Amino acid sequence: MAEEESQFEEFEQIVFLRDRHVRFFQRTLQVLPERYASLETTRLTIIFFALSGLDVLDALDRTKLTLVVVGFEDRHIGIPYSTKGPGVLHPYDSGHVAMTYTGLCSLVILGDDLSRVDKQACLAGLRALQLEDGSFYAVPEGSENDIRFIYCAASICYMLDDWSGMDMQKAIEYITGSLSYDNGFGQGAGRESHGGWTYCAIASLCLMGRLEEALSPRELDRIRRWCIMRQQSGFHGRPNKPVDTCYSFWVGATLELLDVFQYTNFDKNRSFILSTQDRLVGGFAKWPDSHPDPLHAYLGLCGLSLIGEPSLRKVHPALNITQRAFEHVQQLQQTWRESSCGRQH
Amino acid sequence: MHGRVKVKSTAQQEEEKRKEREKKLKIYVAARDACFSKRKEGIFDDEALQISQQLLSSNPDFATLWNYRREILMHLETVKEEDEVQKIYVAELSFLESCLKVNPKSYGSWHHRWWVSTRLPKPDWARELNLCDRCLSLDDRNFHCWDYRRMVVKMSGVPVDQELAFTDRLIGSNFSNYSSWHYRSTLLPLLHPESPEPTSPATSPPNPPLQQLLKEYELVQNAFFTDPNDQSAWFYYRWLLGRAEREEMISCVYVCRDEERVAVAFSGPVNAQACGLLLVLDGLPQRVEWRSVHPRFKHSPVWICDFPPGTISDIPNEHNLTVHWTEKPTHRDCALYTGRSESWCRDSATDQELFRSELSVEKTSVLQSELQSCNQLQELEPLNKWCLLTIILLMRALDPLGYEKETLAHFQTLKEVDSMRSAYYSDLCSKFMIENTILKMEYAEVRVFSISDKNLTTLCHLDQLLLVTHINLSSNQLQRLPPQFAMLQCLEVLEADNNSIENLEGVYHLPKLEEVILKNNKISSLSDLQPLASCPKLKRLDLRGNPVTQTADVESKLAELLPSVTDLLL
Repeated sequence: MAEEESQFEEFEQIVFLRDRHVRFFQRTLQVLPERYASLETTRLTIIFFALSGLDVLDALDRTKLTLVVVGFEDRHIGIPYSTKGPGVLHPYDSGHVAMTYTGLCSLVILGDDLSRVDKQACLAGLRALQLEDGSFYAVPEGSENDIRFIYCAASICYMLDDWSGMDMQKAIEYITGSLSYDNGFGQGAGRESHGGWTYCAIASLCLMGRLEEALSPRELDRIRRWCIMRQQSGFHGRPNKPVDTCYSFWVGATLELLDVFQYTNFDKNRSFILSTQDRLVGGFAKWPDSHPDPLHAYLGLCGLSLIGEPSLRKVHPALNITQRAFEHVQQLQQTWRESSCGRQH
Repeated sequence: MHGRVKVKSTAQQEEEKRKEREKKLKIYVAARDACFSKRKEGIFDDEALQISQQLLSSNPDFATLWNYRREILMHLETVKEEDEVQKIYVAELSFLESCLKVNPKSYGSWHHRWWVSTRLPKPDWARELNLCDRCLSLDDRNFHCWDYRRMVVKMSGVPVDQELAFTDRLIGSNFSNYSSWHYRSTLLPLLHPESPEPTSPATSPPNPPLQQLLKEYELVQNAFFTDPNDQSAWFYYRWLLGRAEREEMISCVYVCRDEERVAVAFSGPVNAQACGLLLVLDGLPQRVEWRSVHPRFKHSPVWICDFPPGTISDIPNEHNLTVHWTEKPTHRDCALYTGRSESWCRDSATDQELFRSELSVEKTSVLQSELQSCNQLQELEPLNKWCLLTIILLMRALDPLGYEKETLAHFQTLKEVDSMRSAYYSDLCSKFMIENTILKMEYAEVRVFSISDKNLTTLCHLDQLLLVTHINLSSNQLQRLPPQFAMLQCLEVLEADNNSIENLEGVYHLPKLEEVILKNNKISSLSDLQPLASCPKLKRLDLRGNPVTQTADVESKLAELLPSVTDLLL
């Protein structure tokens, strides 16, 4: 009898509460709790989590949401954040590379044709952000520079199908220079290995189509080894750190790009992610018994999608959008290529 | 978004909280708007400093305000005296310290502190180091702080052995300090008087004097004897024991009169069409087209080219070939003697130190004592996976063939102890068994590769099998012969019975292949056998015990697909 009961409890815990998550993201698009005040200046990333989250859940009602992101565009240099709402440019908020990346993703997820994005300005803006050592600033006024922004830049170039936005060779040198003694990637040379930066490194190289050129087979095997050792139940980002839902995607997607994700233990991964599920408000948290937030909610879903959770759409591991949104990108690129050919005749 | 634990509250508490939030919001928005309008008007006064300080105290991630503050400070530099500027910046550092107390992981705060430190007329680097010490004592994994410390050390010229001593202290008080071990890994290469070239990657093993290396081994051993379950020391140890990446070269040139073909094997994947590969025959450069062994590969370790018919088919004549890799530059010669139908020139896997390095006598005895220590630990902690992995590593460094039995036994234990990764360990074990078989084959100086009944789950190092004529993979757990299998350009007989093979992509354009034994596998459809049609000399094929034999009209369909086959077993 006791055995049956505990089995039932286990079953309860491992049920994926799809509808709650849908409502969680829908609410995120309308209002956020006070806790997130510090993220006010990075709203666009939160919008991306919500939109992409709904897309992964196959619950995106595009007709209601089209206008939300358009207002954040800037003809000038990318997609900045504006407090005054749609259409009003803010003089001191120039484009931020992570906002541009998530902004483009959001548009693509909503099925936009990107005709209102000034692509050349975007790419010019990117070029201005790259440093001699190959890494990128986040904003033209300067900020810290590291591998995160290389990933944002690579994603932008990939989606716009135009790599003139960066000196690819220099970026690759910065990435390979960030490989640490233990075969994970740091934020830059000499810095500690971390699951998030390893994702940025590998995903960038994959988007550039240079993975096997930049890293030898032995190096790739060693990187696989470092990553595969990150699984404890779910995944952690660094040795001796607690497991955290978001790494089920960061490390999971890296392993998928390196063709060894099938060697991880899906059951334990799934159990951990679902243990951070909020049964009342939906979403996922970083750890069990913590408050959920849009980032972990979104990446938790992506982590489940990698394992093949039935009700979820597949996620493109390098671009971090659904395959469906990715196919839309491919179609757009096809159209652009055809029209540019047409013009040449 | 840092994890926050749930706390319950009553309805009244909720209402009070809501009112307070409304008040705070009003103040916040007013201050923010005031700041923005001042900036718009180009005002850089004390009030601006105050308001932005207020806002940043509660939200240090507001990057725009840090930018504004930097503009204000730069302006003040131009209008105030040096000692006033010093005072202002010192006050800024105090302010930053309070921000860091609130959120020690804010990119904005750390970046701004670095900016201030570099502009301070009289910087106090000792104070900055002290801040790092305090910050790390609260959270020794805070990489923002570690990164900042690295920059301070570089800027102020703190000597390497002082920082090494710092890591000694941290590790000594807590072995489970991964970040300290990491920092140590960046310091160690700097200690050696003949520093490695700047382009040497962090993954290269360090090469300090033997004394220092022994010291490192001792430090690491203390750590993993104290807490064998902590990963930090094991990863560092792995690095110490590692091997440097080999120089790129041409490892083998093979030439065959009958097919009038040259096959070239490189030490790693290259794009031969883009790396300046030149073929010279009897002193004359040849115009040839290089192709990889399978259309899937733009980068491959093995490349092939064909001579125009009649170029080398004349058996009474000797021919001399040289393959030049002009990008490196390096080259390899190969002489095709009179009366010989094929020839090759290669460095063996042993010569290339492919699977293990040449060890000096001292290094060997050091590693042997390391192995002894680890074995002792393993007796005390039989379930510790890090220990098992390290023992395997040491055995492979010392004597891969001699320790083969023990290595297999340890892998068995490893798969039980760390079952979450058992598939990964199976593949790793397969790789080591393949390496051993290659070594045995080379010692015996034969071209037969036999690795049956070894629980192989995957194939690798196929670029080392370019010259193999017979391969026996029977009674393993292989599911496919991947495209890389096409590197076995000399293969005549393929035995792969009793596996789970469903995919034969790699049995592709193998010019000498005559016999294929696939009894008891999982080949299910005729399309799976399509690659075999590209092998012109295939005569004997054994497909017994495969689902495909149940296909209607299988005999006649196979006769159509594979007309050269005369001996078919179904």
